[in-house]
Amino acid sequence: MSGPAVSLYLDPQIRDWVLFPITLVMILVGILRHYVVLLLQAAPKKQPRGAIREQRALVRAQILRATAPNSPLPPSYYNAVSQHLTDAFTNGSYLKDGPPKSDASTAPPNPLTDPNAMDGMMAGMKTQMVMMVPQMVIMGWINFFFQGFVLIKLPFPLTLGFKSMLQRGIETPDMDVRWVSSLSWYFLNFFGLNGLYRLILGSDNGAADASRDMSTPFAAAAPQMGQAQDYSKLFKAEQDNLEFSKGLHVWVADDVETRILKKYGRAT
Amino acid sequence: MEVTAALQKLAAYEPRESQRSQRLLEEGQTVLKNNAYLKRGDEGWETLEKLALAALDQGDIEVANKCLKILSDRFPESSRVDCLTGIRIEVTETPEIALSFYDSLLEGDATNAAFWRRKAAVYRKQGKTDLAVKELSTMLDTYYTEVEGWLELADIYSTCQQYTYALQSLSHTLLLAPQNPVHFLLFAETAYLAADVPLALKMYLQVVDMTDDDDDDVPPIDSIPTGLTLRAWYGVKLCTQRLTAEPRLLTSSASQTAAPAATAISSLDDLATERLRTADLNLAGDLVPKGDSALIGAIAKLIGKSGSKS
Repeated sequence: MSGPAVSLYLDPQIRDWVLFPITLVMILVGILRHYVVLLLQAAPKKQPRGAIREQRALVRAQILRATAPNSPLPPSYYNAVSQHLTDAFTNGSYLKDGPPKSDASTAPPNPLTDPNAMDGMMAGMKTQMVMMVPQMVIMGWINFFFQGFVLIKLPFPLTLGFKSMLQRGIETPDMDVRWVSSLSWYFLNFFGLNGLYRLILGSDNGAADASRDMSTPFAAAAPQMGQAQDYSKLFKAEQDNLEFSKGLHVWVADDVETRILKKYGRAT
Repeated sequence: MEVTAALQKLAAYEPRESQRSQRLLEEGQTVLKNNAYLKRGDEGWETLEKLALAALDQGDIEVANKCLKILSDRFPESSRVDCLTGIRIEVTETPEIALSFYDSLLEGDATNAAFWRRKAAVYRKQGKTDLAVKELSTMLDTYYTEVEGWLELADIYSTCQQYTYALQSLSHTLLLAPQNPVHFLLFAETAYLAADVPLALKMYLQVVDMTDDDDDDVPPIDSIPTGLTLRAWYGVKLCTQRLTAEPRLLTSSASQTAAPAATAISSLDDLATERLRTADLNLAGDLVPKGDSALIGAIAKLIGKSGSKS
């Protein structure tokens, strides 16, 4: 960069009273937010036994199916277990709310009416609020007191493309891009402090994902919505799978005597 | 995951006065006195839990109480400590009190499989086998993957000579852990007791197939059957003998298992005899008995000896 050696001279007071406070406040707010999130996060709600049973019934069938081609069970026992599961799935006895009534509506439950799903969404919103509010307050604070401040000069040159990123809030087309404005410094911190939080609070902290969650306020609520599955449909599908596996069933001990005799050199 | 495993261990706990617990208790008391557990971090708390169990084994309620006090002060809402408290109550109080304690715990959290199993254990100790079976089956209906629970259920059934039900419970353990030859051996032995000899024979042979060729370079024919393999060969021998003596067993299998052909049975019988002789010669070192029944007796003694040692 040509021209005078130093085009702008920054008061060291700006460094002491603006640059450091902004950085410090952001770090401290991040740490505070981490603990507030911890406080707000209620322990995951225990599911009632019926719900667990419903979820795990499918696993039972899957375990049985996985063993089928090389099954440890003789055919009669395998068929008994398989038949039992098929019957249970047909009758719906593993469903959380008991066997369905014959004329009950088959529409999938609306997640918005399910109080459990609502709880999950509210929890997501609460953490969102904890993320947003302090950031808005800090931004307001910087905008109000330090608007148009130039805080720091980067030690390396940059192209003009970075001007809008580094000099937000200062409308001077001629200023060197290396000068960083207060608002830009806030944004740099906002996106750049994750590494520091990870260092201070450990990798699984509530402060670091601030920037990620900022963009999608409903991200945290989404997985809970997906959980509202219609188990009666899944059970129906599983019945067919069980039927298929029955055909695949081979008892692992079916010809074990010939195998053993061969192994010990007694094959006839 | 670690907590789940620990809870399973607690759920399966049974008091027994072993030398190990005696030693643990003696060592542990110095730990308790010097508050040394504080310096060892998480491991220290685990030591306290073990010490409490050892103290209960030895009937030293005072030490157990001390450990429990420390643990429940440190982890006031842990289900692991609750489970330990339950075991402590079982030792000194009446079964009714212990049951109501577990009931109150289950009311708070109906999804904790460990409490269910403790409850079943209390019922079993009381002699109320039917209730124990009921508790265990409800638990297993929800938590299908608890292999230990299925094993216990099978054990209860076999002590009541309900071998068919025991076999059904064991079949679930086979499904859940098909890589474990111990379960196969249990299944075979139960099938033998249930007089389903062809099924038992097949299962015994399966155990042999699973256990005989370890990583040694010795071909199986030259190896000396030990442990599980020996037990399995012993079972094979018993089965072939019974099948030759009572041919009607060949077709009377409750599980419709096809028995091997007669020639296969006789060569299996030969092979089993040869294997058992090898084992007897190498392990017991005494004169090899001549007749089949003498051989079976010697092997039974051998298995009994190694069983009591382990």
